[in-house]
Amino acid sequence: MVKVTVDGIDVDVPAGSNVLQACEAAGKEVPRFCYHERLSVAGNCRMCLVEIEKAPPKPFASCAYPVNDGMVVHTDTPMVRKARRSVMEFLLINHPLDCPICDQGGECDLQDQAVGYGGDQSRYLEPKRAVKDKNLGPLVKTVMTRCIQCTRCIRFSTEIAGVPELGATARGESMEVGTYVEKALSSELSGNLIDICPVGALTSKPYAFVARPWELKKTDSVDVLDAVGANIRVDSRGTEVLRVLPRLNEDVNEEWLADKSRFAVDGLRRRRLDTPWVRQNGKLVKADWQQAFDAIAAKAAGLAGDRIGAVAGDLADAESMLALKDLLASLGSANLDCRQDGAALDTSRRDFYSFNTSIAGIEEADAILLIGTNPRHEAPLINARIRKAILAGGVHVGAIGAKADLTYKPQWLGEGPDAIAALLAGTHPFADILKAAKKPMLILGQGALRREDGAAILAACWKLAAETGMLSADWHGFNVLHTAAARVGALDLGFASGKTLAQMLGGGVDLLWLLGADEFDTAKIGPNTFVVYQGHHGDAGAARADVILPGAAYTEKDATYVNTEGRVQRGQLAIYPPGEAREDWKIIRAFSGMIGKTLPYDTLAALRARLEQVNPVFTRVDMLPRFGCTDLTGPAGNPAAMRGDAFVPAVVNYYMTDAISRASPTMAECTAAAAPLAVAAE
Amino acid sequence: MQSVQAVPNARHPGAGRRMARDTPKGRQVTDAARQAVAALLAGRDRQRDLLIEHLHLIQDAHGRIPTDLLAALAEAMRLSFAEVFEVATFYAHFDVTDTDPPVEIRVCDSIACQMQGADALAAAIAAGTPARLQRVPCVGRCDLAPVAVVGQNTLDRATPDQVFAALAEGATQPVLPPSIDYDRYRLNGGYQTLARLRAGALTAEAVLQALDDARLAGKGGAGFPTGRKWRTVRDQPGTKLMAVNGDEGEPGTFKDRHYLETDPHRFLEGMLIAAEVVGAAEIYIYLRDEYPAARAILTAELAKLPADGPRIHLRRGAGAYVCGEESAMLESIEGKRGLPRHKPPFVFQVGLFGHPTLVNNVETLWWVRDIVERGPAWWRGHGRRDRTGLISFSVSGRVAHPGVKLAPAGISLRELIDEYCGGIAPGHTLRGYLPGGASGGILPATLADVALDFGTLEQYGSFIGSAAVVVFSQADDLRAVALNLMRFFRHESCGQCTPCRLGTEKAAALMDQPDWDWPLLQELSAVMRDASICGLGQAAPNPVLTLLRHFPEVVGA
Repeated sequence: MVKVTVDGIDVDVPAGSNVLQACEAAGKEVPRFCYHERLSVAGNCRMCLVEIEKAPPKPFASCAYPVNDGMVVHTDTPMVRKARRSVMEFLLINHPLDCPICDQGGECDLQDQAVGYGGDQSRYLEPKRAVKDKNLGPLVKTVMTRCIQCTRCIRFSTEIAGVPELGATARGESMEVGTYVEKALSSELSGNLIDICPVGALTSKPYAFVARPWELKKTDSVDVLDAVGANIRVDSRGTEVLRVLPRLNEDVNEEWLADKSRFAVDGLRRRRLDTPWVRQNGKLVKADWQQAFDAIAAKAAGLAGDRIGAVAGDLADAESMLALKDLLASLGSANLDCRQDGAALDTSRRDFYSFNTSIAGIEEADAILLIGTNPRHEAPLINARIRKAILAGGVHVGAIGAKADLTYKPQWLGEGPDAIAALLAGTHPFADILKAAKKPMLILGQGALRREDGAAILAACWKLAAETGMLSADWHGFNVLHTAAARVGALDLGFASGKTLAQMLGGGVDLLWLLGADEFDTAKIGPNTFVVYQGHHGDAGAARADVILPGAAYTEKDATYVNTEGRVQRGQLAIYPPGEAREDWKIIRAFSGMIGKTLPYDTLAALRARLEQVNPVFTRVDMLPRFGCTDLTGPAGNPAAMRGDAFVPAVVNYYMTDAISRASPTMAECTAAAAPLAVAAE
Repeated sequence: MQSVQAVPNARHPGAGRRMARDTPKGRQVTDAARQAVAALLAGRDRQRDLLIEHLHLIQDAHGRIPTDLLAALAEAMRLSFAEVFEVATFYAHFDVTDTDPPVEIRVCDSIACQMQGADALAAAIAAGTPARLQRVPCVGRCDLAPVAVVGQNTLDRATPDQVFAALAEGATQPVLPPSIDYDRYRLNGGYQTLARLRAGALTAEAVLQALDDARLAGKGGAGFPTGRKWRTVRDQPGTKLMAVNGDEGEPGTFKDRHYLETDPHRFLEGMLIAAEVVGAAEIYIYLRDEYPAARAILTAELAKLPADGPRIHLRRGAGAYVCGEESAMLESIEGKRGLPRHKPPFVFQVGLFGHPTLVNNVETLWWVRDIVERGPAWWRGHGRRDRTGLISFSVSGRVAHPGVKLAPAGISLRELIDEYCGGIAPGHTLRGYLPGGASGGILPATLADVALDFGTLEQYGSFIGSAAVVVFSQADDLRAVALNLMRFFRHESCGQCTPCRLGTEKAAALMDQPDWDWPLLQELSAVMRDASICGLGQAAPNPVLTLLRHFPEVVGA
């Protein structure tokens, strides 16, 4: 630590910090455009000027100047003020005064800092520079005349997203930011460019001219479109969600958000179920709640408990799943499943099915093995963490599965379980890398588990983890990467008992209750099975349903989700569900009352108390204690039973994985613009 | 089921798959382009730092860089399209276009050529031939102004007829001046000092001591003590590299070209001595692309060197003045855009490819052998007005005999002109001069008797830099001179930092007005000087500020 004095305030900052960080530590605001904490230092905007004692009498760019012990910094001297005002005047020489029609207006760094540090008029009367706009695809809108050449976007795409597609062309006054030719960005993180752009050069295309930031109601929530559980802020106006932005959480998403989570929200306005429906004479007709409940009650009456089953979908929240589980128990049934893809998950121990290393823990690992997963598509934010760890250096990454461009280049060990067997046998050299590593970890994807030999693969991977030192008292390197936000919560609640989904299909049950379950082949449901679909979108499940109960999407309810790490997080209601739709747990509670099996909770608080009673992990909201692993006993399954066929990726089209993103016009455009990603050659 | 709200103009979600194209997004590389690039790169390494070299291959073969070849090059070098595109468009000598014909004629735009009628020359050429003509910044032949370049053939004191003749004959190759080759250099005692150093007969410490005693200062423009620089690099841990700055872009400067084209081995021996003393594993010579003759000579002579020393790479610049800034030059050697780096860390700590790097100017190294062999006292024996050593002045403008003039440090302009240049050009009277090229400022005739050296001109808002002296007479419009220089800086600003990117542009625009807005120009200059990252932006206002200070009557202030 070195001691630095900023405007008379002494602060201790780590050696190697820059002056700007020291100023922030002292609570002094330093204006900046190009500097960003998570990107490399460019030092090109020259806005963060400060004065340093015992240095040449000129202002210094604080972001690019390292601290020295005993350094004395002034952030507010006449020289500094004048220099900043002049730099601001320079920036505004070419920046258009189109704030009234700019979507960045109201949340613009340039606007804010011009007020704080600029003058009130310009002395430069010459015509402003105009720059042709670039086509960056369906998500990011460009107005390049507004660009102030800070190069944050270039650095983000090169460093964080790992797609070096943006560059600065030409030089001097002619310098422009763009892709090589008109080319959509091939990144799943491109929406973050909008957030890091300090001006209105890069804005959201779907959100263009939709709203002003001060008109929006902001609700902190949690994303459910993958299993990462990114922290988000839902911006809504009236009855509509207009956009979703990331919220800072260093342990989960840092300050980034994947494109699907950000842009699929227009799917919340389309194909919604806003009233109950009941099938009569083969056709679904609109009904009211009473009629819908009556139809279900009539079917349920007299059914043996074993003939009733329930399936939870990928977006289901813990509260509604628990209510449904309790409802089925009251009907005498324990036929519950959440594994729509048939993944061979072992629920006997929590660390058999969660991402035990934790997302932030990836940065500690020194060897990473990806098995049957493409994290770039299954969890872009986790992929970004892996990339971050690689960029930090000293990490070996191996991968087993279909070759793909992951934005980094792993060592491809094989396409299927043979490679796992080779590692177990020690015949592949990567086994030595794993054994030599201090903190090795493996990430097992759903693509490896949703096969007939999934249990064998799970057991083999655990064995590999145990034998290569991934499991120790202070390190747990065995990780399952889920793709469904509901999955870990469902497993925590024991929503996987009795008959499996496969056994319920084909007439295995007479009454099948689908809680937002759309991700399996509904044609396999027996023709005489009575299907109740409770959910928010008219997707596959609703099409097969005999009764439709309109539920709430994730932005429309106070709900608990458990991400792939096992982190319990809560989303909040931002807007009310449309029409007759209701929060899901309340629907189930109402139905239970109607059939005389009233569930013992009337309030969310009571339900959450029950949640904690069923599994104490639900008491740890927003907290994720990390555990080592000393019990090396593996999951049931015979590692020798693995078959030879190659792993198939769990996510084929990143932009459409669930009922919300399938209903989203923006995601449809992204799908149209996307193309087979080039296979990264070794 | 119904949608709560219809979204206008939205395609059905399922439309995505039908619309999908069967090729990946973006520009596709054609087979023809792929083969063309493969043929050019055959047998060559493809690592990233060779990007500029490879772009030269395309530019030389095609006279321009078609975008499909650029895409194929990106693919062949496993770089992203954007990276290749940004490098190609940064450098002036890469002409990225699919439609424009190749540039065949270049006419120097710089101040010395301007004074000798470059504008009229360019106009006459343009009127006489349809071949594409480009005005370019200083090509480093200011003593022979005006200069036109056909292909790589430089025509001195060019006339339109000379240009047309060269075009008609297809004379586009550089004409090599006579130079001392390897054998002759050895006959005259060359490479013996290097041999003694390598054999241990001469110690590195003795070399360093000689440099220290001679008080040799870097000849690139900053005047940093050479011995101190070598010691610092020598003391750094780990692998060390050396880079030679031959990117002599300062308008008015041509001394490095002179030495390279006359006695290249004296420079090479100095360079190898430096590498030996600091322990550099590899040497990169960065030579500006405007010097094809020097490049041809160096290429031939380097091939004659015995293979026992460090590996020597000769790298071509590509038309970027800013690459004369040492950290920008290192970026360029690494195959990137020439953006100056932030200091600290300094290049002697973290330089080329992250290694501690010794960066020296060509002329600095040229003097090493003489100082070691003749002793520091010989060097210090030169000098006037209490200054010591020798300075190679590149003299151009209104003097009778312009050229490279080796004169004692501390000489005054008047002495330099009278003793070395045959006096002022006939019919002219001295009015003012640039002591250090474009960035050194403009001084008046009343300051013709001050010592020209480091530390003597700063009090007048000026500096000697690379000793590029351009002499002006009553025939020259000093406002036009200042505007010419500012336009040069505007053209050469790398665009990285705000003060320089916008300041050079705005200053040039303000200076183009009939009445100069002095308060605004001064304030603008202050921001550029204080807040720019590198010397380019910091020094760019010097001509205008010195004009205001020394010639108030000229600018109506």
